[in-house]
Amino acid sequence: MQTIICQPATTPALFTAEGVVGVIFLVTIAMVVIGGLIAVHAQRLVRAVAGLALCFTGLAGVYYFLLSPIVAMMQLLIYVGAVSVLIVLGIMLASPEEAAPVDEKPTTDIKHRSVLAGPLAASIAGLLFASLAILGLKTQWQVFPREGEGDIHAVGITLLTTHGMVFELISIVLVMAIIGALVLAQRGRN
Amino acid sequence: METSIWHALLYLVGILAFAGLNAAYLGYCERKGAARIQRRSGPTEVGYAGLLQPLADGIKLMSKQLLVPKGVDGIIFRAAPILAMVPAITSMAVIPFSGNIQARAMELSVLLLFALAALAMFAILLGGWASGNKYALISSTRAVSQTLAYEIPMLFTVITVVLISGSLNLQDIALDQQGGFWRWNIFRIENGHFLTMWISFLIFFICTIAETNRAPFDMAEAESELVAGFMTEYGSMGFGLFMMGEYLNIVVAACLTTVLFLGGWDCPLGLIPGVWWFLIKIYILIFTFIWIRWTFPRTQIYKLLNLNWKILIPFSMVNLLITAVLIKVF
Amino acid sequence: MSAYWRDIFYGSKSLIKGMLITGRQFFKPVVTEQYPYETPTLPPLFRGHIELIGNAESGLPNCVVCMMCQRACPSDCISLGGKKAEGGKGKVLTSYILDFTKCSLCGSCVESCKFDALRYSHEYNLVSFNKDDFIIDLMKRLEEQNRCKQ
Repeated sequence: MQTIICQPATTPALFTAEGVVGVIFLVTIAMVVIGGLIAVHAQRLVRAVAGLALCFTGLAGVYYFLLSPIVAMMQLLIYVGAVSVLIVLGIMLASPEEAAPVDEKPTTDIKHRSVLAGPLAASIAGLLFASLAILGLKTQWQVFPREGEGDIHAVGITLLTTHGMVFELISIVLVMAIIGALVLAQRGRN
Repeated sequence: METSIWHALLYLVGILAFAGLNAAYLGYCERKGAARIQRRSGPTEVGYAGLLQPLADGIKLMSKQLLVPKGVDGIIFRAAPILAMVPAITSMAVIPFSGNIQARAMELSVLLLFALAALAMFAILLGGWASGNKYALISSTRAVSQTLAYEIPMLFTVITVVLISGSLNLQDIALDQQGGFWRWNIFRIENGHFLTMWISFLIFFICTIAETNRAPFDMAEAESELVAGFMTEYGSMGFGLFMMGEYLNIVVAACLTTVLFLGGWDCPLGLIPGVWWFLIKIYILIFTFIWIRWTFPRTQIYKLLNLNWKILIPFSMVNLLITAVLIKVF
Repeated sequence: MSAYWRDIFYGSKSLIKGMLITGRQFFKPVVTEQYPYETPTLPPLFRGHIELIGNAESGLPNCVVCMMCQRACPSDCISLGGKKAEGGKGKVLTSYILDFTKCSLCGSCVESCKFDALRYSHEYNLVSFNKDDFIIDLMKRLEEQNRCKQ
């Protein structure tokens, strides 16, 4: 554990404030990665959503480490508290009992799959990774100054002044969503 | 920053002890309170006046087998009780018990509390689903629909408080109310806030009862219809953790109500200031929780949602408007 | 609209009323009996299992072995034995066994007794792991009562 938290010059000991913070940071990263893997690989939908929620929670931690606690809180409130819960509710209401994962399924599916599927997927993934890597390495990253301190006052003021347009657009989207939901519900009732 | 690891550890141990003791002894208080209201005497056998009863219960629960029934989703089934307990304990970290007793004075502590409540809700949902039991499933959907619905008026009333104090930091909100009960948000004379804030307080209090799934809103574990709701399949310490999580949520709700409306650790008339005022207030609130539970029968789910959508939400919205106007006018 | 407000008003009023009622009960004394620590004062007509009445002077049972109680019993739980009295007329009781496992406490035996020899006991501590404990020898019980009296 100790060796992983290496900063170039001084590796903080594990049992100091910095060491513990480092471990917590690693835990959040692990939560993101493991959660993502579960979300992709799980056979049961609810497990996948649980993985997704784990991933979101880890992401909130990462945001917190990036000094944007507001985004972190919103991540928890909206993505875990609303989005994941809604997905789980949807799954629960849609199919009460899922079939247990059957072992034979993948083998039968492979027969129907094209021979090219595997290499194609691999090459696309490789291409994506390579291009992203090149992009990351070649770009001359500019350091933008922080807008405000990241505290709630600054965020509120910028939301209502500099980014007022975006704020209004988002509210329009939300109003449309609400009206759409009302219309759909009304139609369903009739 | 000069926070040493010992500082953090001290708070960790302190919070765990406070949480554990409360979770254990609230069960005792509830049984005693219920007994008194029904004019019984409650647990008396274990220790003086049954004071060691929680210990006995704990030993009993821990010594039982952790049964995982057939057909449940093993991992989620085991993880759910822990997930239900963790947010409740974590919330304790940002609660200001006194001017200098607070583990972490976060800028956004109010938001953090609601985010953690969302996590706890997710735990109930997962526990209910993983049990593979119809009662548990129905119960967890009920719990979630109830919690989601009651979050709306709750957040509206919290916004009124945030408007008055101008901060999302619980410490600041509490500091803003220091200096006598007329400065507490519920009776605030300044700007004439007392006109609406007591309604805010009532709405908030009703919402906390609903959020913590307590009677008369305990639709999630309606014993007469759903066996034990999402806890049906849980035995031994799995059940114990859910139970403790529930009681801790009550403690957190009482703490939050105290900080938001009742002036935190502020003493009413300048008498002997100290952390005990905070404790007195939260325990009075918790007693009210118990009192309400043993007074009113369970409502029905649609009445519960009607109350929310038809009464609490409109009232809280109007309240928010009036509060904003009052702040602007004066 | 007025119905809405009336609903809220009367609803909250009744909620407060309910709270006050339970609040008042909270401070009233306990009405339940703390069983092993408190002995209840039983009403004079309490129906426990039956017991024999001893003669006020001799302490011997009043029973004359007329067998009326045995005949009156609908569930056959009484069995008694007697023998000819030595030097005198009538019989004396030698054994009186009550099988309390079958008894339904109907009281027919007490009603049928014409010699004031049976009554209801005030025994309520009746619990055991052994069924045989409820086959009660009433003669022995009477002897013990007599001993206690002395």
